[in-house]
Amino acid sequence: MKQIIQQIFRSGKFIVGFSIFTTILLVVIVYPLLIPDPPLNIIGQGTFFEPGIYVSVFDSISSPQYTLNLDEAAAKRIASKLGEEDRLAIKEWLIASGIPEGEIEIENTEKLLDQWFENYDPAKNIPGMTNAKRNYFIRLNKAITGLLSDEGMSITVKNAETGVLEEKGTIVPSAYVNVNEVPNVRVLPLGTDNFGRDVLTELVAATRVSLQIGFVAGIIATLIGLTLGLLSGYVGGVVDDVIMFITNLFIVIPSFVLLILISFSIGQDQRGAFTIAMVIGFTSWVWTARAVRSQVISLRNRDHVNLSKLSGHSVVHIILTDILPYIASYVVMALILQISSGILAEAGLSILGLGPRTTEVPTLGLMMNWAMIYQAHILGKWWAYFPVIITIALITFSMNLMNTGLDQVFNPALRD
Amino acid sequence: MAVDYIYVEVILRAYRKYFLNKFLWFLVTLVSAFLLNFILPRLMPGDPVAAIVSRLAQGMSNTSGIQAIYEQYTELFGTNKPLLEQFVIYVKNVVQGDFGFSFSQYPRTVADVIKSSIWWTIALQFPAIIVGWLIGNSLGALAAYLRGSFDKVFMPISIFASNLPAFGMAVILMVVFAVTLKWFPTSGGYGFDLIPNFSWKFIWSVIVHYQLPFWSIVLITIGGQAIGMRSMSIYELNADYVKYSRFMGIKDRKIVSYVFRNAMLPQITGLALSIGTMVGGALVAEIIFSYPGLGSTILTAVLGQDYPLISAATLIITIMVLSANFLIEIVYGFLDPRIKAVQAD
Amino acid sequence: MSNVLLEVRELTTKYVTRFREDVYAVDHVSLKVEEGKTLGIAGESGCGKSTLALSLMGYYFPPLHYISGDILINGKNISKMKPDDIRKSVLGNEIAYIPQAAMNALNPTRRIIHFIEDVMQAHELYITKKDIYNRARELFETLGLPEEVLHKYPVELSGGMKQRTVIAVSVLLLPKVLIADEPSSALDVTSQKMVIKMLRQLMEKGLISSLIFITHELPLLYNVTDDIMVMYAGQIVEKASSKDAVFDPLHPYAKGLMGSIIVPESGLRDVKLTAIPGVPPNLKNPPAGCRFAERCKYVRPDCRTSSVHLRDVNDTRTYRCILPENELRDIYAKEVAQNG
Repeated sequence: MKQIIQQIFRSGKFIVGFSIFTTILLVVIVYPLLIPDPPLNIIGQGTFFEPGIYVSVFDSISSPQYTLNLDEAAAKRIASKLGEEDRLAIKEWLIASGIPEGEIEIENTEKLLDQWFENYDPAKNIPGMTNAKRNYFIRLNKAITGLLSDEGMSITVKNAETGVLEEKGTIVPSAYVNVNEVPNVRVLPLGTDNFGRDVLTELVAATRVSLQIGFVAGIIATLIGLTLGLLSGYVGGVVDDVIMFITNLFIVIPSFVLLILISFSIGQDQRGAFTIAMVIGFTSWVWTARAVRSQVISLRNRDHVNLSKLSGHSVVHIILTDILPYIASYVVMALILQISSGILAEAGLSILGLGPRTTEVPTLGLMMNWAMIYQAHILGKWWAYFPVIITIALITFSMNLMNTGLDQVFNPALRD
Repeated sequence: MAVDYIYVEVILRAYRKYFLNKFLWFLVTLVSAFLLNFILPRLMPGDPVAAIVSRLAQGMSNTSGIQAIYEQYTELFGTNKPLLEQFVIYVKNVVQGDFGFSFSQYPRTVADVIKSSIWWTIALQFPAIIVGWLIGNSLGALAAYLRGSFDKVFMPISIFASNLPAFGMAVILMVVFAVTLKWFPTSGGYGFDLIPNFSWKFIWSVIVHYQLPFWSIVLITIGGQAIGMRSMSIYELNADYVKYSRFMGIKDRKIVSYVFRNAMLPQITGLALSIGTMVGGALVAEIIFSYPGLGSTILTAVLGQDYPLISAATLIITIMVLSANFLIEIVYGFLDPRIKAVQAD
Repeated sequence: MSNVLLEVRELTTKYVTRFREDVYAVDHVSLKVEEGKTLGIAGESGCGKSTLALSLMGYYFPPLHYISGDILINGKNISKMKPDDIRKSVLGNEIAYIPQAAMNALNPTRRIIHFIEDVMQAHELYITKKDIYNRARELFETLGLPEEVLHKYPVELSGGMKQRTVIAVSVLLLPKVLIADEPSSALDVTSQKMVIKMLRQLMEKGLISSLIFITHELPLLYNVTDDIMVMYAGQIVEKASSKDAVFDPLHPYAKGLMGSIIVPESGLRDVKLTAIPGVPPNLKNPPAGCRFAERCKYVRPDCRTSSVHLRDVNDTRTYRCILPENELRDIYAKEVAQNG
């Protein structure tokens, strides 16, 4: 046993797969201990907040202020405020004012603003300019001048009695707060989803549930497949014929179709994560049954089995001590494959809208489903779906690598 | 000559036996598919027809529609009759192509909805799976033969790609080529402003919309097939006949052709066995692109709680898969001489 | 002294494992096979006898690699030739090989005649299919194989028939030396006898000139061969005439090997059955001294430290031990006396 494990851990593929899988497992276990938020808590009002560090504006105002005189502060401020549309509008004005297009650099904020202040004249009329457009330019000019001014912003509070606004203080452009001193800062490494939920927390919880679904489905499928395979291979005769008929039937009838039919028939209310896992398990045992059967048949007439039969051991005893240990490696490999295909099956079902019911737990498939329904992929909200795809791929990839590694150890013919 | 004649006779008999066997099995699976499609919803808690009727009350605003569907279903399912008779009615209806009205797309019939989506799925999936199979097998064979750096770079990529779910590949292709690069449209089977006809504009639109769904299925298929073909080829390269052929002085190129032919045969059987799973994955990929095939039809049906449509769509998919499976078995029978030999015994 | 057909001098080859370790499975092996003679090679599985068979072909592909030594066929040194020249003019023509698993030695999806065409065309570019067919038919007739076999696929043949077909295909190009690697081990007794008969036939009918026969079944070797070479851990440990090797082995391993086999031949019946305990050494790191020391009943302290060379008893007999012949014989005699 020790030697086998040593051999397994000499396989590069197995080690890589095992490391990835263990890492995922560790994150799934440790993350909720550090951040115990409920995964489906809606924290964002609105959809798809970008990944980043969210600092409370309210708390920032009352936090200790420090003055930092940084040269590029103003330029940065304008650069971030000046959108693509504004820049294009400025360019339009400059061209109308007779500046050759080649001299306008739309991305160079400093140069663009210099040209703007030189050429802008609110009284000037560009032929064909609508009134709305003229007002837009006036507003734009005001905004830019405002951003460049050294004057601060006042903080006013409404007096509860008189209803008059009273100035409490001003904030100058050179005032800074230390993020560490702001009591409410929320890091959203993967932003929020369409419902305003923290994607990372949701993703970790979804990975856990999906793994659970995979394990339950895999164990059910492996148990059924193992039992049927053992029966069919060891007992033979009519039992074998019947079991093989059913197995071959379910190999050609796509299990995906069965999954759709059963899941739909169960109905939305009955579909918990566990139910889905069971349904997946009950529809995906065929390959294990076939593999186990052919292994058992090749073992059935080996000397040690015959010896055991002659010694009068019971069928159960023979199966447990003379057959199972020899097919254990195949069963483990089959289990690994079942788990990863179970996770994929859940994802597929969920995208079809047949996943587990939505109020309690997220799954990787459901996250994908939500992202697709809210068109995250078309809107460019990559954080809502890309981490999900990567997680699914990493799980199945790592399990497959482990499987290939095991296969190479146990079937030397496949070795490189 | 006489010997030849007898030999041909034997071969023909062997083929007949093989094809007859396969055809019988096809029929058996077909009947089982009908049975499962009929019985699974009835085994679940709650009677499907009762559920349908209760959903009718909430779902629809068209009163005459409700009435029509209600009458249709009492007749279609024959709920008050014994189960066996219900099955006979069901099979009769199905054979006549009568699946009743669609709930979600009333007054269209289920047959009509399916008819308008099935060809999109067939035209998308089967070419994509075949192309993916061909490319994947060639690359896998190449990886096994060349080994070295090609193998080292190519194999991890295909292992990773084959572990990407089909919908994942679909989303990635879409984001890269449709959303970011804008080379292809993001969704649909043709431009939403067009009405299907035989103009060049429409055909071009169909071709452009076809590309991303097609390649996402192809890419997914390539990975798995390449891995399978590579290990089959390595297995065959280590076979005793390779060693013997080498020691008889046969050229490497000839031996490689032996190996790849022999490694390809199990890959064909593998395709027959896994085509169901592939179609399942590809259906989900269709949904990502809102491709007007059966995948999207199932999604609409699920969202609209459209039981008759789901039942019909799953049955049609099963029949498609079973037929593809049967066809592959037939082709295999011609390609593998061992089939004849075994059957002739 | 008759013509030496195959001469091997200090041949060393290695396997490279998956973990890039070198395994020297054939370690400085020298041998000679004369025209009309049959050489037997015996040893436990894993002793390097099959690897030696592969190495003798002079045509190497991974994981087997050539290190050093010479192979001379009819005086021509093939170990210095280019692989493609060996393939064209040596393999099948000069030296041919019957693999251990002859059952699977034929491509399952190719008719026998097509495979024969491939073999012939690999050596003679311009030969017509008709000529090939005629030659194959003639050969099959000579060897008593039915002509229909040519049109069949390997799966359509029985195990014994497959075996005989492989033998026939191997001698298609009339090689001088034929190497048969356990050609009968997977067969039932009747088929085994057929195969042995056929191998003898090949010599008698002049289809081949010499035979190297590899097996772990000693009685078979004694019946078929003129000389026997015993291998252990990649090295020759004893080489003698068949009679001496079986009835009067000198090397303790050879002696143990002869004793470990169930022998039906009448003259051998009173030889006691004694399996040799232990396993052969790992050839990744072979022991410094005698490789058999760990399993040897008569081991001495020097055995593990001093290197052990082949000792020549006479022109045809040699063995690898630190003890001279007379001391070994004394030990064996004493043991027989003790056991009564």
